[in-house]
Amino acid sequence: MIFFFIILFAISLIYLALTERVARFITLLIIQGILLAGIAYWHLKHIDVIHLSFILLETLVVKSIGIPVFLNYLRKRNRLNRLNESKVPTFVSILILSAGLVFGFLLSNYLQDTHIETIFFAVAISSVIAGLFFIISHRNVFTHLIGYLVIQNGIFLMSLSVGAEMPMLINNAILLDLFISVLVLGIFINKVGDTFQNLTVDGLSQLKH
Amino acid sequence: MVIYFLVAMACGGIILLWRRKMVTLVLRCAFLLNQLGVTAYAILHRGQEDSLYFNFDSIGIILATVLTILTIATFYHSYLYLNRHPTTVRNESIYYASLILLITAMTGAYFTNHMGVLWAWLEATTLSVSVLIYHDRTATSLEATWKYVFICSIGISIAFIGILFLSIVATKGGLTDLYLAGLMKAAKDMDTTWLKIAFVLLFTGFSAKLGIFPLHTVCVDAHTASPPPISAFISTSLMSVGFLGIFRMYSIIAQTDAHQWANKILMISGVISIAISAMQLLRVKHFKRMFAFSSLEQMGIVAIALSAGGIGYYAAILHIVLHSFAKASLFYQIGQVDNIYHSYWIKDVGGYMKINPLGAVVILLLFIMITAIPPSGLFVSELMVFKSLFAGHHYVISIVVLFLLSVIIFVLGRNFTQLLYSSEHELHGMETAIAYRTETISQFILIGLMIYLAFWPPAFFINLINSAVVMLT
Repeated sequence: MIFFFIILFAISLIYLALTERVARFITLLIIQGILLAGIAYWHLKHIDVIHLSFILLETLVVKSIGIPVFLNYLRKRNRLNRLNESKVPTFVSILILSAGLVFGFLLSNYLQDTHIETIFFAVAISSVIAGLFFIISHRNVFTHLIGYLVIQNGIFLMSLSVGAEMPMLINNAILLDLFISVLVLGIFINKVGDTFQNLTVDGLSQLKH
Repeated sequence: MVIYFLVAMACGGIILLWRRKMVTLVLRCAFLLNQLGVTAYAILHRGQEDSLYFNFDSIGIILATVLTILTIATFYHSYLYLNRHPTTVRNESIYYASLILLITAMTGAYFTNHMGVLWAWLEATTLSVSVLIYHDRTATSLEATWKYVFICSIGISIAFIGILFLSIVATKGGLTDLYLAGLMKAAKDMDTTWLKIAFVLLFTGFSAKLGIFPLHTVCVDAHTASPPPISAFISTSLMSVGFLGIFRMYSIIAQTDAHQWANKILMISGVISIAISAMQLLRVKHFKRMFAFSSLEQMGIVAIALSAGGIGYYAAILHIVLHSFAKASLFYQIGQVDNIYHSYWIKDVGGYMKINPLGAVVILLLFIMITAIPPSGLFVSELMVFKSLFAGHHYVISIVVLFLLSVIIFVLGRNFTQLLYSSEHELHGMETAIAYRTETISQFILIGLMIYLAFWPPAFFINLINSAVVMLT
């Protein structure tokens, strides 16, 4: 079951390159959140119930409900429907994200270690690469945020790959999501939209002058 | 530490919720006492553990003492800044509450003995300082805030991956937690491949805080857009938090065979930082941006000092301390310059020597201090850096760095001369400007402290640096 979830998570990374609709990005994040909760449950079901419940609740509430609802609010407020501002053609993006997945698997095989879950680790690395690529290849701050959240999901998965030994780190990873995501999302996206009348990074280059 | 955190949170929380000028003033004083108290307590309990995740080690005490000194000055200059740039009571409350949170987070970062907790405090500094950068609510402050929060968040996420890698290597070494002492003890048996990856990731992530290559750009923008007292903090104590993160990781890797490899990373980053600084300074047109690139150069020197080893370790810590005093003073003084010219652009200023002679003397002294010309304290630390570079036979790097430093001195000299002696704009805005002599007191004290600590360092100070250096050997 756990591998099924991880494979689905990996497919969701590729799908990121295929879509331009903002609503789809948000749906993808909801799906990723549910998958991560499933992975966390199957992977950590041996730990104490309270701790496990805390992790699952945080994952589901924050990743699958809280942040997507807020993203949706931002989407409506800033009238974002379709983001076709990628600097890289879709086909090339798919190739790069696929290459990221392959790189993740090669790296985790190279670093093969008894203390990490190889498949978790491979998909986690791929997710971080996908998030970074997503940020670099788009010019809109909203999509940057989506990329950032994909990186966070990758980090969550990575912390699970070593989570059996270091459960505290899992909580830290979730706290990272909670604090920064909410701040970055909450305060400044709307301010950027209000101040520059659009959400592209073109307006954010006055300081260089 | 728990009492300190509770008092700090109470002060910040009440300021935020109970928005009265008098309440804010009283609570600021209470927080200052709290900050002085925790620093004194740390000095008196040096080497001892406190609560679950804190330890008063030498490097923490040094940086926290610098922070406390700058806190007093920053509170004073914040008061001046907010009087001259009136804002709503709400914004003023947010400003002070965020400032208190920032200082508390930095203090927590200095004294923690756990890598995971250090990371969490670093995260807290990003949140609190972002509110302060955005204080002026302008388009440029929004741009700087967005970039700072976003890139720092990415950087700190990368650092978190580094900590995860460190946890893997720690687990392999039989550790079940990320306490610094345990990590250093177990470092010799750690797998160097994993450790190298962890070091690179942590270094990259924390470079956003230290303001050094590769993620130096966010700090530069944040300096430019923040109110001067906040720029003073970003450029000094906040950079020290990044330094501490790298220092902690370096103290682990220094126990292993990967030590020399880590030195190369630091050396490359340091030299590139100075080179970028020199190139950018040649075309800089804004005073705060100029100071920001100067900080990039200074942090480059610190990285080179660490990588050179030997006396370079001592020089790195001394440099961080002295640079904090000089750069904070520069930002405080440039706030006063802005009060006269209503601009930070170099083209808009001139004749400062006639308009405000005392302030001009401060600028002149700070030019000498920041460019490491004797009797600047930075002269002593930079001399030590070059001594260690020559001792390590890094002749080419020494020559390249010396050349780049000469370019930087030239540019800084040219721009400060424009401010002090150019007659082109000397009457601009002069009629409305008021510069109280008391505003320069803090700068004179910091300059004096800088010279004193470099040329007549007290035994206690030397002892503190030496015991911090012991962690690296």
